[in-house]
Amino acid sequence: MLRIVSAIIKKEAIQVLRDPMMLRIIILMPLIQLFVMGYAVNFEVKDIRLAVYDLERSADSRLLQSSFVGNGLFAVRRPEPGIMDIHRGFRENIHDAAVVIQNGFARDIAAGKAGRIGFVVDGANAFSASVAIGYASRVVYHFNRQRTGLDIPLSIREKRLYNPESKTVNFMVPGIAAVLLTMIAMMLTSMAIVRERERGTLEQLMVTPLPVSALIMGKVATFALVGFVELSLCLLIGFTWFRIPFVGSWGLLYFLSFIYLFTPLGIGMLISTLARTQQQAMFFAWFFSVFAMLTGGFFTPISNMPQVVQYLTLLNPLRYYLTIVRGISMKGATIGMLLPETLALAAFGTAMLTISYLKFSKRAD
Amino acid sequence: MLVMAGQISKKPLSVLSAGIDDLKRARLIASKEIRHILRDPISLIIAVLMPIMMTLIYGYAINLDMKNIELGIIDLDNTFQSREFGESFYVSGYFVRPKQPVTLADADKLLQGGKVDAVLTIRPGFAEALAGAEKYELGLLIDGSDGNLAIAASNYAEMILAQYILKQITAVAQRAVDMSVQVAYNQDLKSSHHFVPGLVAVILMMISALLTSVTIAREKETGTLEQLLTSPATPQEIIVGKILPYIALAFIDGLLVLLFALIVFAIPFNGSGLLLLLFGFIYVAAALSIGVLISTLVSTMQLAMMASLLVTLLPSVILSGYIFDVRNMPYALQLVSRLVPARYFIVIIRGIMLKGSDITVLWVEAAALMAICLVLLGLAVKRFRLKLR
Repeated sequence: MLRIVSAIIKKEAIQVLRDPMMLRIIILMPLIQLFVMGYAVNFEVKDIRLAVYDLERSADSRLLQSSFVGNGLFAVRRPEPGIMDIHRGFRENIHDAAVVIQNGFARDIAAGKAGRIGFVVDGANAFSASVAIGYASRVVYHFNRQRTGLDIPLSIREKRLYNPESKTVNFMVPGIAAVLLTMIAMMLTSMAIVRERERGTLEQLMVTPLPVSALIMGKVATFALVGFVELSLCLLIGFTWFRIPFVGSWGLLYFLSFIYLFTPLGIGMLISTLARTQQQAMFFAWFFSVFAMLTGGFFTPISNMPQVVQYLTLLNPLRYYLTIVRGISMKGATIGMLLPETLALAAFGTAMLTISYLKFSKRAD
Repeated sequence: MLVMAGQISKKPLSVLSAGIDDLKRARLIASKEIRHILRDPISLIIAVLMPIMMTLIYGYAINLDMKNIELGIIDLDNTFQSREFGESFYVSGYFVRPKQPVTLADADKLLQGGKVDAVLTIRPGFAEALAGAEKYELGLLIDGSDGNLAIAASNYAEMILAQYILKQITAVAQRAVDMSVQVAYNQDLKSSHHFVPGLVAVILMMISALLTSVTIAREKETGTLEQLLTSPATPQEIIVGKILPYIALAFIDGLLVLLFALIVFAIPFNGSGLLLLLFGFIYVAAALSIGVLISTLVSTMQLAMMASLLVTLLPSVILSGYIFDVRNMPYALQLVSRLVPARYFIVIIRGIMLKGSDITVLWVEAAALMAICLVLLGLAVKRFRLKLR
């Protein structure tokens, strides 16, 4: 049995290696994804362009103005005097926010009332707008604290664990590795089987004395190997080029990846029983990848999603694997901490493999 | 004299009739292409269903409203004030209680296993610190692995503390400055208003390129390209004829996605629909041209599909400003993003839908799209003509 399986692995490996296009895709895909995402994915909100309209020009208003200018949170643009069309500035994308200090600001403060200012922000980008509002209220808060002279010396001492500089790339690279492992394993499996069927070589294999299980095992093992190569390649580039940290156990990562792999491989086989052409197979595989990626917490946290979608994500195997890969590589999580995820993956893997094996042998008869 | 007049009038007439021939041949090729589309119902269903599915998945999944951050609070002060302060985190709507309570002993483990996102420790002495002038520090441990979430958690915590202190101060003294905040275009600060219009651009680009990328590759694979080439139709006519039906299909897709955006995600529409249609037309033409260009370059349908996904999906999602601000990218990538059509259309559709921008503001983006479209079409025709020789 083992000899048969290894012979099939050899056949599949030759087939993968012989196709230069396939080889290029296997090597180029992680490179392109890593470099584009590693450099472009950045949630940081910096240099919020703030237009300051100081209509009073008193000592007080200048003081407030300077606390907006001097804190480094805003990139201040001084609008031309007399022009008050804040919304036009938003539409023409000249500034992101504006602060207006009305005439009478100093008079109100002198009279013991609160001086009024207005903060207008372009809400089209909700995320940067909410950050801008946060920054502005911080400036106003400090100004108030200074002017009233009253102080409550309460502060937060913050410690960011695992990724102190909040670098997005540290978070993205393990995620990309997980996604690529999924995509490669699924696509190669589904397309390889469909190709044999399209070319009529599947029947040839079926009439040989090989048992169906050995046939499947040989194919699946090859693509599992390719998946591992992909995973390792991705992480290797992450460490050497992007210098992301790895604090956990390599052994655990590969062991849990092995458990996880049964799921995408099983899905790939399932697709191969459904799809009639390679094109359809690729389409199914690709659609599933996008779905898994987006609802798995790859880009944005699952907790942001509506409750119904959150329940739906429980059915997404990539969700658990992402937690595992990021947990091990960034936080050094141990198997005890990842037990629920591991069990979920084991259940998924068993179910997928059983279903696809049953469907596959039925079609083969 | 009469003969002369006849000769003179003959020339413009022949040009005119050639023009009619042009249109007719392109129309014939278009009707052949329409028959191809209708004969393959699976692909047609995919072309209509996929945009709808993608709108729903992307629309719900891509969301930066950082709410429901799981915050465990270890209250060692356990006074009325400390409880009130802790409660203000959950009332804010940004933080939620974790599923299991956090204690000092297991805080690290829960953070490491990803069971909580942050832990706030209120040491004894909080209530006294509010009255006195002694320095007092709250401890906030954040799981920093998702940098974005960590930044949001940190900002929110600082904001809640600032509000709390301000409330204490203004209970005894008059504040100096009162700030009123006005949010333009998106009062509730919903991130779907930012992402869903961009999604229309991404989906249109992908579907359009995918649809046309297989058209010429299919003729190559089935060997009918030679037949097409020996027909009297010119390369321009073939290319135009092949694109025309897909413009209609892509437009239906675009309207569907837009309808979903307006109904399901309740995105406002403040600008001119006509202007959006006009610019949308240029954008779709550019997207279809990408597909045709790919189709002339590759030999099989499978390669065509893979290439069009690679060329459209990643740039349109990552390099277009759809999710990530182009201004934050390294300069080299900013340059690359200028070649991405979605970048311009995203500015256009966001401007029109959310801000009610008009042509005086958006003509730059429209001109850029137009230029990209013409260059791509020219390249496609040129490549195709090369094949002819």
